[in-house]
Amino acid sequence: MAERFVSRRNLEFLLYEVHRVERLSAQPYFSDHSRETYDLVLDTAMKIARDLMYPHLQEMDQKAPVLENGQVKVHPAIKGIMKEWGEGGWIAASMPYEVGGQQLPTAVATACNYVFAAANFSSTGFPLLTAGAAHLILSYGSDDLKETYAPRMLAGEWQGTMALTEPQAGSSLSDIVTRAEPTDGGYYRIRGQKIFISAGDHDAAGNIVHMMLAKIKGGPPGAKGISLFLVPKNRIKSDGMLEPNDVTVATVYHKLGYRGCPITQLSMGENDDCRGYLVGEPHKGLSYMFQMMNEARLAVGMQAASIASAAYYAALEYAKERPQGRKISSKDPLQPQIPIIEHADVRRMLLFQRGVVEGSLSLILQCCTYSDLSRTEDVEQSQRYALLLDLLTPVAKSYPSESGILAVSQGLQILGGYGYCQEFPLEQYYRDIRIHAIHEGTTGIQALDLLGRKVVMKNGQAMRLFLEEVGAVVQEAAQDSELSPYAERLKGALDTLGQVTMRQVQFALQGDVETFLADATLYLELFSIVTIAWQWLAQGIVARKALDAGCSPLDAQFYQGKIHAMRYFFHYEGPKTAGLAARLMEADGLTVNMTAAAFDD
Amino acid sequence: MKSLVCLKQVPDTETQIKVNPDGTGIVTEGIKYVINPYDEFSVEEALRLKEKFKAGEVLILSIGPDRATEAIRTALAMGADKGIHISDESLNNSDPFVIAQALAAAAAQTEYDIIFCGHRAIDDDFGEAGAMLAELLKLPQVTLVTKVDIADDKTKAIVERDVEGGKETVEVPLPCVLTSQKGLNEPRYASLPGIMKAKKKPIDKKTAADLGISPEPKLRSNAYSMPPERTAGKKFEGMEPPDVAKAVVQALRNEAKVI
Repeated sequence: MAERFVSRRNLEFLLYEVHRVERLSAQPYFSDHSRETYDLVLDTAMKIARDLMYPHLQEMDQKAPVLENGQVKVHPAIKGIMKEWGEGGWIAASMPYEVGGQQLPTAVATACNYVFAAANFSSTGFPLLTAGAAHLILSYGSDDLKETYAPRMLAGEWQGTMALTEPQAGSSLSDIVTRAEPTDGGYYRIRGQKIFISAGDHDAAGNIVHMMLAKIKGGPPGAKGISLFLVPKNRIKSDGMLEPNDVTVATVYHKLGYRGCPITQLSMGENDDCRGYLVGEPHKGLSYMFQMMNEARLAVGMQAASIASAAYYAALEYAKERPQGRKISSKDPLQPQIPIIEHADVRRMLLFQRGVVEGSLSLILQCCTYSDLSRTEDVEQSQRYALLLDLLTPVAKSYPSESGILAVSQGLQILGGYGYCQEFPLEQYYRDIRIHAIHEGTTGIQALDLLGRKVVMKNGQAMRLFLEEVGAVVQEAAQDSELSPYAERLKGALDTLGQVTMRQVQFALQGDVETFLADATLYLELFSIVTIAWQWLAQGIVARKALDAGCSPLDAQFYQGKIHAMRYFFHYEGPKTAGLAARLMEADGLTVNMTAAAFDD
Repeated sequence: MKSLVCLKQVPDTETQIKVNPDGTGIVTEGIKYVINPYDEFSVEEALRLKEKFKAGEVLILSIGPDRATEAIRTALAMGADKGIHISDESLNNSDPFVIAQALAAAAAQTEYDIIFCGHRAIDDDFGEAGAMLAELLKLPQVTLVTKVDIADDKTKAIVERDVEGGKETVEVPLPCVLTSQKGLNEPRYASLPGIMKAKKKPIDKKTAADLGISPEPKLRSNAYSMPPERTAGKKFEGMEPPDVAKAVVQALRNEAKVI
């Protein structure tokens, strides 16, 4: 099995050279940090990933969780991994000192999580969900809930979950039916079913803390009647001991991939004795939950990119070692065979993987940097970064997820028949990455979010800021003779995106929302290619400058590789924008106007 | 319990080592450095002793160029208290004797109940510094240690060490020098709070002059070379099985000389 799953050099390039995270230290929240801390943090993450997580990658896939006597049993390594994430401070990494965090920039913490997920994606589900759930409690919970639950979750002792989906309500959360009935005891009585709850039950944690959406009896219908509850698997008695809280595991699902982490169906209140504790105010649950969902969406994009990274390095290693065939121009069978990396088509597949992996990671770290920068005390600046983060979150979630599937598929293709077999990790990566286009809002939902909400919000203010940000990179690249053709291409694509956006928005203004959003997923794809091209051009600028300034032969090789990968993205992926734009400009409602009966043949 | 831990920064085991063109050393560009794994066992054991006795200190002592600070800092992030970094051009790349002299001189300026060294460094594989250090300090030493029990009065240690095919248990008076072997413990990872605390922990920089030594190596390396590349295997094709067997046996005896 390949030992390498991420590039440390690339992480440093993106963190320090492209997104310049050291500048964050100017803000009071990050002022204790410096490159020295970040390097040591990354060193430690790499070591934990390599020694504690990667060795269990395959076994966790092969020995999936099982439900025994009402309790889900997971791979024994999970306990040690949760403990290390807790005691090592990784779950609380970017949280404030007051709650035991280290105030690490999200960009650096995410880079570490990327390393962990590349080593063993399934195992990162447990601590990352716990971090998101704890953050939600700390943001909106009562002091009592904060003190009771958050410390044990941040210590990795208790598992956190997000319990949203129900059998009849997945993408459409307004249709949930889980009920919460007020009592005089300071809690609500919960009844209902939740499905697809990741880490919803397991034996590596002392308790499971569900952040659950439910409707309070008598509340308004739809999304406006959704409240957020903390529903523990075991509630705490007055003497501090735990007792069962009438949360039953009905099923643990058998999945295509992501098999190390149990996905459960839960039943609450079968004995009418399930207690839920209201978080924040009644009926505001969905808006609170969006905090966790947005964090989770970035995390999903990060995890997808990390799996694609592991697949890239496995395919690269194979391509360098596997002798097969000869150059097309030299068919002499007496000549030795060449490693397949010498074949143009294999290089194309490797470059596609790099284009996706490094473009995605750069976008995710860009989003994290916006999040970190939004901590500034300058209100206007803070809003600017928050809006950019809002706009780009659906792109950072869906592009790595959708393109990551294709990238891993190309990695598998490089291994040929071996790629399809369990002896190599590619088939697992291919199965593992598939979930990301589904969970935390499917690609279709992300597309609706981008076009239907984010692009048009505040009269298109976020979109204008985005055009400014991309425009600044275009302008800088135009100063460099080698990059100016790419600046031109990106400017062209940006203009196209602007025209397509106007065309779509016209339908919205005319009140034809069906046509407006019918091809939102294609719009998301177009938007994503432009966004990733922007990230590649930003990387190209840094690489060109470093080469101009002079650097060591090893660095020069790295930067030249970057420029090759950037050029690949512009020449092979960039042109796809034209086809997408052509279709989007048609906007003829082809799918809207078709009848369902026309599908039957 | 005061432990002095001698620690060396070495190339990561996953680094591909290349010899430089003139054969005088290795190419250092692009190398990722880590704490010598055997020294990591030492750090962990010292931390456990401090935790067991609920008092004391773990002092890290390292010799090397500026980058060695990273290794000391990592040990501090694991929980060690202080570092001494002997940074002196005349000591870099010197032989085990010079290293032991410098370690001994630095040790003489500190207080300790016990000294830990890795039983060897994974880069040059000499495995001599620990023994020489004990000799120079006139201390007893136990090598290849896999278990340490310190008596409550801190006058002696019961130590288990690797011997061929088994273990040997010895008693040694303190202070002493122990050289750590794999199996001694599972070193902890640095933690994020530990990393933040490590930034504020003191690292004392010293030169050869500060230690009052003028090192004269006893060893000079003449050349570095890579092991020969593995040659391709040999295929025996187009023969009847009995003939193949004969040919293979002959090749193993006459060419490979293994039977």
